[in-house]
Formats: sequence, structure tokens, C-alpha cells
Amino acid sequence: MTETCFRMKGTTLTSIVLEVIDFEPDNFEAQLSQKIASAPQFFTRSSLILHLIKPLSATEFELLVALCRRLQLQPMAVKGEVAELKPTINDLGLADVSQSKFTDSVLRSQNPSQQATASNVNSSENNGGSQAQQSSTSAANTSSDSDASPSAVTPLKAEIKPAKVINRPVRSGQQVYAEGGDLVVTASVSEGAELLADGNIHVYGTLRGRALAGVKGNTGARVFCQSLDAELISIAGQFIMHETVKGECWKKPAQVYLEEETLRIEPLA
Amino acid sequence: MAKIIVVTSGKGGVGKTTSSAAISTGLALAGHKTVVIDFDVGLRNLDLIMGCERRVVYDFVNVINKEASLKQALIKDKRTENLFILPASQTRDKDALTVDGVQAVLDELKKDFEFIICDSPAGIEQGAQMALYFADEAIVVTNPEVSSVRDSDRILGILQSKSMRAEKGEPVKEHLLLTRYNPTRVESAEMLSVADVEEILAIPLLGVIPESEAVLKASNQGQPVILDEDANAGQAYADAVKRLLGETVPHRFLEAEKKGFFKRLLGGK
Ligand SMILES: Nc1ncnc2c1ncn2[C@@H]1O[C@H](COP(=O)(O)OP(=O)(O)OP(=O)(O)O)[C@@H](O)[C@H]1O
Ligand SMILES: [Mg+2]
Repeated sequence: MTETCFRMKGTTLTSIVLEVIDFEPDNFEAQLSQKIASAPQFFTRSSLILHLIKPLSATEFELLVALCRRLQLQPMAVKGEVAELKPTINDLGLADVSQSKFTDSVLRSQNPSQQATASNVNSSENNGGSQAQQSSTSAANTSSDSDASPSAVTPLKAEIKPAKVINRPVRSGQQVYAEGGDLVVTASVSEGAELLADGNIHVYGTLRGRALAGVKGNTGARVFCQSLDAELISIAGQFIMHETVKGECWKKPAQVYLEEETLRIEPLA
Repeated sequence: MAKIIVVTSGKGGVGKTTSSAAISTGLALAGHKTVVIDFDVGLRNLDLIMGCERRVVYDFVNVINKEASLKQALIKDKRTENLFILPASQTRDKDALTVDGVQAVLDELKKDFEFIICDSPAGIEQGAQMALYFADEAIVVTNPEVSSVRDSDRILGILQSKSMRAEKGEPVKEHLLLTRYNPTRVESAEMLSVADVEEILAIPLLGVIPESEAVLKASNQGQPVILDEDANAGQAYADAVKRLLGETVPHRFLEAEKKGFFKRLLGGK
């Protein structure tokens, strides 16, 4: 007998659920690319669960998967209306998880005419229907060992991820992403640099680049900086550009937060 | 231990080759055995600035391809003791430089030389990345204008992520060399000031080289401008070399020249 060469374990994984409400390839691709462009670092090569709200034909489904891959997403599993598609799902090397239990909570969209369902069960700041983000994706926790109801928006476990701390300037062309938590930069952030965080972003220097906080939809996330000179600031998908950032807090210590779907800039005393 | 110093900028035409020639000459004059390598394969002009273009027989690419020995390709400077030039090829392209090939040449040079100065081509692509990959220190040449500062910022990002030192988690020592500085144009706000550039790039200032006709004159004569002791640009390079060697020297030529009493009397320009 040789020594044990593998071990099997269970795990939970946070992934994006792409709810496919209506699949008209061109339109779908246009909307999806736009969404990805809003937070490229977050979406690129992220694993994806396709949730088919309506049944698709095998050809349509193949198109959908190819389209996702072309946009650098990695579909790994399918749920929803999959009955007719089993052989195709198999051929494409995907998993059929239509029988699994999910805890993703789909919050009501503000504007039902739009394909918009955004959700994030990891966010303790979520407050029911007042979700501001409009998107065709929903970030969800696919934990299969729990049967939490959609209203269980309080964190399942008190997991606190330490902040990601960067002690040097973030230069033009660089991107930093703090997954699952806050991002702290103790130096300046150049024009052309991009900061992303699931939580808050703190810059103890001049923020000249882009800062995207709450990229998975945490509307309570904030951006703080010592000197505000940003190209773009985004919170949970809502963003303001340079022109708007300019104002009374220009080049001063400031914080930016979301209030009723509007980004507010406030001086830090 | 030999030190490898890359002279780089991102943006083209800012004075990398002028600076490489001046600084390597200055180091050799101070008694340090120095070699300066032209990494601008296909567009060689270091040999012109150094005034040794007629003596080029073999080049960097010949050595990498083992068509010539290093000894055959190295050109001993006629004016300055301790100084050698390794010219670039005019007939090849940048793909002729391979990581292994460059490393082998640098390893051999390290046995013999105290300073190895690498004159980088413009850009942030493969050619520039090859020139900086093995660097222990970097002299980032910047002109006092927005596009040049932005490119320097990008190159600093690349030094932090794509150099061999960065891969090993040891930072590359960074120096800012501000060239073609024209205090009159700074005063009239046509150009960025030293303080502006220092604030954006946030790296130590090695020197400020004034815009000077002596530079063009020197390059036409094939004589590094540092040898022109009467020119302010020559003196500024001499100061920069001293700082590179660890001396503390105050910065000069930062202010527009005030017309002296006699000049005013005589109505001088
Ligand atoms: N301090 C200076 N004052 C005036 N002219 C200068 C100065 N420094 C450089 N120049 C001029 O600028 C031009 C470009 O200089 P140089 O060739 O050293 O730049 P480079 O960065 O090596 O360019 P490339 O990116 O093409 O390799 C030359 O004509 C040179 O004479
Ligand atoms: Mg050059």
C-alpha cells in the first residue's frame, strides 16, 4: 500500500450567479460587456454559475457559454431550466447544479423593465429592496450546507477579513483588488491606477486614480482619502467621474459614500 | 559587487541616452570601472553620443548569439579611463535580446566592472522591460511635462512588478532625474516644477538637468556633455553622479537666471 495521495473535503465558495432572463445574443453581450467594464478586475476570470430562468435551446446555450468565455468569465455550473440541456452541459464540461441547495438571495429590482437583479448575501449593509445597483448579474454565496432564506442578509458567520494594506504608491497601469474586505493604501495613487475593494477604500495620500469600493454590491462601502483628486469613484456600481469629484473637497481630505443612490462627497475634518 | 543601473523613462526623446553617456562617463572619471550598454536595438545611438560610432565592429546581439566574444565587442573609450561601451545592433530587432542571453552577458560583465549602465529604449514594452529586468537601481529620466511624468509613473509600476528584484521581493532603488528643465518656462507655468514632479512620482531626486544648448553641441561632437565643465548641464550631471555615489550636494539651476547688475547696465540679453 502506498501513502494516501488525496483527501476529499467540502468547501463553500463565493461566486457570481449570472441570471439569464432573456437571451438575445447581441443585446446580451452588449449589456454584459458593459457590466464587466465597470469593474474589470472583479469580473475577469471569475467563476460563474449560469442560472437559466427560461429554457434555452442547445445552440443558444452553447452560444451563451462561448460568449461568457470570450468575455473572460469562467462558467463552471448551470442551474435553473436545464432539463433539455443535460447532454450539452455535459459536453461543455459544466456541472449541473440544478438539484443543489443555494442561499443566494435575489433582491427585488428597482425597475422591473430592466434585467436587473443584484444581490449579495455577504453584505450586512444590504437593506432589502433599496438596492441601487442595476445589473444582470448577482453575486451570491453558493454555500450548499445551509438553507438560509433570502431574507437572511446578516452574515452567516462573523468572518472578518483583514484589510489589504499597500505601503507603496500605486502607479499608473497598476490595479489592486482587496477581495472580501477593505483596502488601505498608505501612499498616493496615481492617475491611471485602479483600486478595487469589496469593502471600504482608504488612501493616506493623494487619490488621483480610480477607486471602486463595494464592487460586489456593498452599498455601505465608502472611499476615504487624504487628498481627493480622483479620476473616478464608484460605490456598489454607482460612480462619479473627475468632473463631478471636483468641488469643495477638491484636493482636500474627504470621504465618499452612497446615500439614496447618490454619491455624496464630504470633507473630513 | 557590480551594480546594474537602468536609465529608463517610458516616453521617448526625454534624454535617456544623453544621461546614460554623461553618468557613465562621470562614474568612470570618479575612478569606477564602468560599462554602458545600448539596449536600443535597431536604433542605436549611444555610440554616436559617445563618439565611437566608427569603432563599432561587433555589438550586443553578436555577443548574445556567440558570434563574438565580449572582449571583441566592448569598445574602450578614448577620452576616459575605466569606461567601456557595448553598442547595440543596427540591423536586428528587439526580439534578438533574450533573457538568458542578456543575463549571460551581464554575469560576465559583473566580474569586471563596478557599474553597468543600461540605456533603455523608449516605451514600456518588451525592449524597455528587458533593459530594466536585471537592474539593481533605476534612474527614471523625466521631462517636466504631464505626459512624461505619466510615463515615468508607469515605468515605476513596471519596475515594481516586472523586474527580477521585484519577483524576488527586493525593491529596485529608484532615482528621479529631471531633464530639460527650463526655470523660465516653469515660472510662466508652461512646465511642471520640480516640486510638482516630486509630488506626483514620490521618489528621491537625483538631479535636475537644465535645458541647454550645450547638450546638442556635445552630441554633435560625440562628447558626453558632462565633459563640458563650463556648461550648466555638464555641471548638473557631475552633481548627479556625486549623489549617485552617496554624496550630499545641493541642487543648482532651479531658478531662472536673474539678470546681474552689469548685464542690466550693458543691456545684456
Ligand atoms: N538637457 C537638455 N537640454 C537640451 N536638449 C536636450 C537635453 N537633454 C536631451 N536633449 C535633446 O533631446 C533629444 C533626445 O535626447 P536623447 O537621445 O538623450 O533621448 P532618449 O530618451 O535617449 O531618446 P530615445 O527615447 O529616442 O532613446 C536630443 O536631441 C538631445 O540633444
Ligand atoms: Mg536613447
